[in-house]
Amino acid sequence: MLELKRTLDAKGHGVLEMPSGTGKTISLLSLIVAYQKVFPLEVSKLIYCSRTVPEIEKVVEELRKLMEYYSKQTGESNNFLALALSSRKNLCIHPEVSSLRVGKEVDGKCHTLTASYIRAQRHSDPDLPVCRFYEDFDAVGRQMPLPAGVYNLDDLKDFGKRNGWCPYYLARYSLMHANIVVYSYHYLLDPKIADLVSKELTKKSVVVFDEAHNIDNVCIDSMSVNISRRTLDRCQTNVETLQNTIQKIKETDATKLKMEYRRLVEGLKEANVARETDVYLSNPVLPDEILQEAVPGTIRTAEHFVGFLKRFLEYLKSRLRVHHVVQESTPQFLKDIFDKVCIDRKPLRFCAERLRSLLRTLEIADIADFSAVTLISNFATLVSTYSQGIKTLLFSVSHFTLSPLDIYPRILDFRPVTMASFTMTLARTCLCPLIVGRGNDQVALSSKFETREDFAVIRNYGSLLQEMSAIVPDGIVAFFTSYMYMENIVAAWYEQGILENIQRNKLIFIETPDAAETSMALEKYQEACENGRGAILLSVARGKVSEGIDFVHHFGRAVIMFGVPYVYTQSRILKARLEYLRDQFQIRENDFLTFDAMRHAAQCVGRVIRGKTDYGLMIFADKRYARADKRGKLPRWIQEHISDGSLNLTVDEAVQLSKHFLRQMAQPFRQEDQLGLSLLTLEQLESEEMLKKISQIAHQT
Amino acid sequence: MDEEPERTKRWEGGYERTWEVLKEDESGSLKATVEEILFQSKRKRVTESHGQVRLGMMRHLHLVVDCSRSMEDQDLKPNRLTASLKLIETFVEEYFDQNPISQLGIITTKNKRAEKLTDLAGNPKKHIVALKKAVDTVCLGEPSLYNSLHLAIQTLKHMPGHTSREILVILSSLTTCDPANICELIKTLKSLKVRVSVIGLSAEVRVCTVLTRETGGSYHVILDESHFKELLMLHVKPPPASSSSECSLIRMGFPQHIIASLTDQEANAAISTSGADLSLGGYFCPQCHAKYTELPVECKVCGLTLVSAPHLARSFHHLFPLQAFTESPTEQLQKDRFCQACQGELKDKSIFSCPSCCSVFCVECDLFIHDSLHCCPCCIHNQTASY
Repeated sequence: MLELKRTLDAKGHGVLEMPSGTGKTISLLSLIVAYQKVFPLEVSKLIYCSRTVPEIEKVVEELRKLMEYYSKQTGESNNFLALALSSRKNLCIHPEVSSLRVGKEVDGKCHTLTASYIRAQRHSDPDLPVCRFYEDFDAVGRQMPLPAGVYNLDDLKDFGKRNGWCPYYLARYSLMHANIVVYSYHYLLDPKIADLVSKELTKKSVVVFDEAHNIDNVCIDSMSVNISRRTLDRCQTNVETLQNTIQKIKETDATKLKMEYRRLVEGLKEANVARETDVYLSNPVLPDEILQEAVPGTIRTAEHFVGFLKRFLEYLKSRLRVHHVVQESTPQFLKDIFDKVCIDRKPLRFCAERLRSLLRTLEIADIADFSAVTLISNFATLVSTYSQGIKTLLFSVSHFTLSPLDIYPRILDFRPVTMASFTMTLARTCLCPLIVGRGNDQVALSSKFETREDFAVIRNYGSLLQEMSAIVPDGIVAFFTSYMYMENIVAAWYEQGILENIQRNKLIFIETPDAAETSMALEKYQEACENGRGAILLSVARGKVSEGIDFVHHFGRAVIMFGVPYVYTQSRILKARLEYLRDQFQIRENDFLTFDAMRHAAQCVGRVIRGKTDYGLMIFADKRYARADKRGKLPRWIQEHISDGSLNLTVDEAVQLSKHFLRQMAQPFRQEDQLGLSLLTLEQLESEEMLKKISQIAHQT
Repeated sequence: MDEEPERTKRWEGGYERTWEVLKEDESGSLKATVEEILFQSKRKRVTESHGQVRLGMMRHLHLVVDCSRSMEDQDLKPNRLTASLKLIETFVEEYFDQNPISQLGIITTKNKRAEKLTDLAGNPKKHIVALKKAVDTVCLGEPSLYNSLHLAIQTLKHMPGHTSREILVILSSLTTCDPANICELIKTLKSLKVRVSVIGLSAEVRVCTVLTRETGGSYHVILDESHFKELLMLHVKPPPASSSSECSLIRMGFPQHIIASLTDQEANAAISTSGADLSLGGYFCPQCHAKYTELPVECKVCGLTLVSAPHLARSFHHLFPLQAFTESPTEQLQKDRFCQACQGELKDKSIFSCPSCCSVFCVECDLFIHDSLHCCPCCIHNQTASY
């Protein structure tokens, strides 16, 4: 809180690291809301970015509780407006559209119903289908602001249904005057969407990124374009359709194309005037100066543009046909494309904009089908606009030794005012990190490339899991470094009969790259934990399980990390990224790799402790964890509990320690035990001693 | 465990850091802390007893003992099974001592099945014999919580409503192999008002937490053997009677023990109704004159509960438990520092005084009064004196 207040006072950036389940959300919310109340002019808006829809919901619930508390304590109803925003898929209440499953389809369908030209057409032809919710909203909703209160997605939907307004547009419209906005961080980071949604957000807002450990990946995701041969093929068909449509329109309605041509000559200004519903095909971060320029002559007419697209497509195809991987900088790429197919840089830049305009002119409503060609044109624009590093867009300077926390600001280029890593105050040590470095036969355990095929290592890993399965109750989650490695190991265990032994104690579930299969496995896993059979979930450190799913209480009494989850270092993307990091900010490759690996390990391991009443074993089965450079990169709240004695254990020793730990933890633990230590009553909080302690802490930092 | 027989040795068993619990006092001796620990543990049992609540007097308890493979684990010496059976023996004795008109039955579970070791009966001897025999059983397979609970319900559900229905599970394994969804069974247990308590030998298992929480029982996990014993002894005391349990008048017979001599013409040697032993004397049911060699028992012929007066008297204190004595430091005591009961000098740090007559006692006497006497001797003395 103190750190946070400092950050707010200084109006700078802050990075805070806190263990899970310690009330991050509520402490952030309560302070910032209080701040907002006291200084309404300085902080006008709180933007809370979270990762997934359930997390968004959780934040809103916390907020609701806070607001209730406020109104109960002060006795007056406050005029805060807080709302959650999500995609159309989660907010649509149109009976037909909302029945669609995939987000893209919903977007596309919505677009066919609400695009401005469709609505314009409807004036002449009232039979066209239209979304009445949007119409109603457009007619009445804009004048009436959303009443103050806290809205989650369902509340918005209810409100929408009651009034017959489209919740999605309602929410988007209300963003402007809302005090607190909760949404996914794509809305802010992804330049394609951010432009749409977050453009109007004022400067005086506080932005909170929750679970920000992967924020650099999100940035990269949002700015990278993935082109495969399949996309290109689909693109080809798209272009053909385009051509056909153009032909048709030319025959029927040539004036339209001419009008468009004229407009393009005038300049791209109309991009700014575009109605909100049309902005589905948002342009990727077009700098303003481009918008002022006119579209170059070569792609002004529709036919020429299609021809241009075709050429570009062919070029990309030929590039993809090459088997060895070529890495080249943007200027190189541009030069090459100019030499081969005579495409200049300038038209490329306008590619995305031109396509948008063309699609609008052609009145093709269902844009979902054209995603491929959109992708390509976005790529073209991106390539030509940013002459530096298409793959990574990060900025920073400075060089120190790296510790996990300060690497974030360095990667993301900002200077934080405060940076603090918090630990938990615990009435009992509810986590037990153990580093198992040797097997019972003293063979060093490691997932190092040289030893990963070693029979002895695999066997020892197996015996570790087997012993653990016999002493840990309910659920165990085991993480491997990759799917490949997991498959190899599990196959070897099967041959050695280890799997059979494990299955006597617990059922085994395996995560696969297939999402449906995994969620099925998860469901069964939880059932097995619930009814006392016990289960083991084998999963992968960067998979779905490690990212979003919590293993509260009995769903995860132990986590075992088999090996250090380094990324696949030979991957091109990673190499490019590493190179970029080295050139731009002098971060050594190794530092980054270790940082990244430990971040994921901590992430995996942190899945089990979700609060103070929870407890769990954390077993790091790799001798490399014992080294100071790895250990030092774990979050502080885990590091604290690693004693020197538990650095290089054998399997047997680990089993003994865990047995003891589990028995200790199973002793009744009441709320009164926490009193005075990690939980304070009001009297205790106000007591002289505590106040002194708090001020002492404040001075120290 | 089979592939590593060398682990059986105690010195290889692990790092039992018993010394870590100990702390030196100022003079560097350990004695104070050890005494402190002992004192605390003694005191705990007294304070944990409930205040003025009605306790169920007639109990029906089914003891479920896990005999699965995990009972072979050697963290209790010599192994879990032997250690727990031994403790259960003392438990059975203590149980019948404190609850003379209650009944007990034992169920074992192994290899996914549940078997009855002894039926619900009020005779400690039979149970103890059976337990002694059970030491040699081979532990194998997984236990089945569902099957054992199901088996226990079969008999418990016929027990009258004014008695308590309890199940105590000693579970060593961390997994259970169930033929059906156990949640359904938990609901049935709840509706039948069966209290299920669990003592875990290894770690906290979710399903047991749910089971005990739903049925109002307690769930404990042992730390070591002495803790195990302590936890078992907690179950000797009857649970508080739920307010919803029926109150009813029970007909009871108080048969007298008749010793017939061989010279007596009328007496014939008879076989007692419950057992197979042939004897001359015995207890005769006042209603139907069926003969029994032991009490308490339910008459096989007319269904009358037969007890002896001392039995009933011993159970009676559960209805009116003695209040816990208040603890205070010895320094505060103004009077002579002598225990009212044993007349010994009060040397401990704290003393205990009866809230009604304010007499002071030492720890030992306090324990003795609460555990065995069940009434304050000074209060009784005052009462009789005033007459």
